[in-house]
Amino acid sequence: MEIRRSVFLVAFLITVILLLSLLVMGNIMNDARKNHVEEQMKIISSMSDINIYLLMSDLYGDDMACVAFKTKLKEWDRTLWDLGMKLERYRIATEEFQREEFYLENKKLFNENQLLYMLFLKKMKEDCEIETSILSFFFKDAKECDKCDDQSFILTDIKLRADEEVSIFAYDLDLDLPNIRILADYYDIEDYQLPCVVVDENVFCGIRSRQFLTEKICEFNPGLEFCS
Amino acid sequence: MNVAFNIFLYAVWFLATYYIVLLILIVLSKKDDLFEKKRFDFKKPPFVSVIVPAYNEEGKIKHTIASLKKIKYSKLEFLIMNDGSKDGTSNEVRESIKGDNRFRFIDRKLNKGKAATLNDGFDVAKGEFVATMDADSMIEPNIFRKVLPYFKDEKMAAVTVSVLVKNPKSFFHKVFELEYIIGLSLFLKIFSTFNAVFVTPGPFSIYRKSFIKEIGGFDVHNITEDLEIAYRIQKKRYKIANCMDAKVYTILPPTFKQIVVQRKRWYSGAIQTLSKHRDMLLNNKYGLFGHFVAYNYTLIFLGVCLFLFTLYMGFSNVYENVMYFRHTNFNFLEHMKNFEFDFLAFGRVSFLGAMSISFTMLMLFLGLSLTKNKKSERKLGILGYPLLFFLYQLFWIVSIIAVLRGKKIKWR
Repeated sequence: MEIRRSVFLVAFLITVILLLSLLVMGNIMNDARKNHVEEQMKIISSMSDINIYLLMSDLYGDDMACVAFKTKLKEWDRTLWDLGMKLERYRIATEEFQREEFYLENKKLFNENQLLYMLFLKKMKEDCEIETSILSFFFKDAKECDKCDDQSFILTDIKLRADEEVSIFAYDLDLDLPNIRILADYYDIEDYQLPCVVVDENVFCGIRSRQFLTEKICEFNPGLEFCS
Repeated sequence: MNVAFNIFLYAVWFLATYYIVLLILIVLSKKDDLFEKKRFDFKKPPFVSVIVPAYNEEGKIKHTIASLKKIKYSKLEFLIMNDGSKDGTSNEVRESIKGDNRFRFIDRKLNKGKAATLNDGFDVAKGEFVATMDADSMIEPNIFRKVLPYFKDEKMAAVTVSVLVKNPKSFFHKVFELEYIIGLSLFLKIFSTFNAVFVTPGPFSIYRKSFIKEIGGFDVHNITEDLEIAYRIQKKRYKIANCMDAKVYTILPPTFKQIVVQRKRWYSGAIQTLSKHRDMLLNNKYGLFGHFVAYNYTLIFLGVCLFLFTLYMGFSNVYENVMYFRHTNFNFLEHMKNFEFDFLAFGRVSFLGAMSISFTMLMLFLGLSLTKNKKSERKLGILGYPLLFFLYQLFWIVSIIAVLRGKKIKWR
């Protein structure tokens, strides 16, 4: 039995075709991920809705604005949370480094939008008496903050249990965004203290257990269903 | 992950995929020839000697002798060579060969090792062709009528056969059987198509005596003499064929620990042989042999590196999950309730891995189908493959470490 040279060549061609199809498929997936992030980002970046509610509140009083806002609250909260999770997951799945820039830019945009939404939520919470707990989580990369990942696990679990009753905003201090830094300064949070969690204006630095944070959330918001 | 790692990953993937695609194409193009039957048309059937070296084979060698007695070939002699066994091998042999004058028993009290025993056997063998056989193996009665016609080719130095496992009972034995079906049967057939057979398996191989004498017999310093001799045969540009239609059944070591010791010896021996004959690698003088061996071992080495990396990534992932669940009081139920399948979260690397696994599985399935295994065995093969793959990498790692540490490898 002898093998023809053409068998070697055909095998090579098949392998090249497989490699190319893999690369093409990877690109399609990368684009799909990018599109998904951009779509989600569009939803949370639409400032117009927030402006409308603020104007409604000024012109027609809080009641009108609150009704409108409450209908949007759950959707925004869910979109923000999902996008936060997906940004990191998709960044890992997209291994080409030339695309890292896209995720970095979107992370910045996401953090800024989180801040905007959090401030708006705080105002609406007071004006509309919405039963919700607002948590701000300040973190850095695992190299600089070895307990930050652990704290994020705990907060993820709390979010999974509480859903829209607890709104968690995670701020990445590595991004060096001026607004986020101002917020951290406002709470007197230094980098060496991380991870820090602000539960309804009360600052807790160093890793905190699920039980501790749950107790604090319920202490400040006894009316939450999640606490019963 | 950085760019360099990505390039490395794609390069390994390309090399491995090319290898598997090539093997699949060869198998598909030659599938009618795999079990080729050559006509036994010797005017004067040649005399054949069968050497069976034995070291502590009590309880097993009687079955080997029983299988030899059933052989349908007239011009035969059997040389049972006791290599200083400390158990009842000697008595068992004497009892088993009683009344059959085709058998000669050389009862040596001193243990000299398998290679030296085989060389002693070649010195006293009368046959033009000499078969070597492990004392825990059994051959089919008409094996010589199947293998001898290959020696019509005057350059043919050795013929190997399909090595299968005798009565695999435990799950592990069934998993390791795959290695024999694919590695020591189908692959040897494929490699014989471009004269690159790299081993003449110990359970049964038959040699042209004059050629073996010419190359100086088996290397007594090598722990895998059946592998080393194949390299020297190739070095002389003689041929090694494989007759898949002929079968030898071998008994696997009974315990997992003994299997590990056996594999450690095989793989360490492979490194030892490779190091001894490194001049053959990528050397055009030896045809495709040098290229395929180099390709093969490069893939094994890269595969081990990739395996270690995957293991590291896997453990990091597991660690992360354990930490997550530890902080959340192991609340699996809540986690599962909120689990969301996201296809986009799978990166290109995942597809790379999935494609490689699929191709290897296809190769395995094809191999098992073509070697005429039962459907149930094929199913087990597919299920057992991930385990075999995992163990295979582990054995290589253990062997590489043993060689690097200069550790003396035990026979058993």
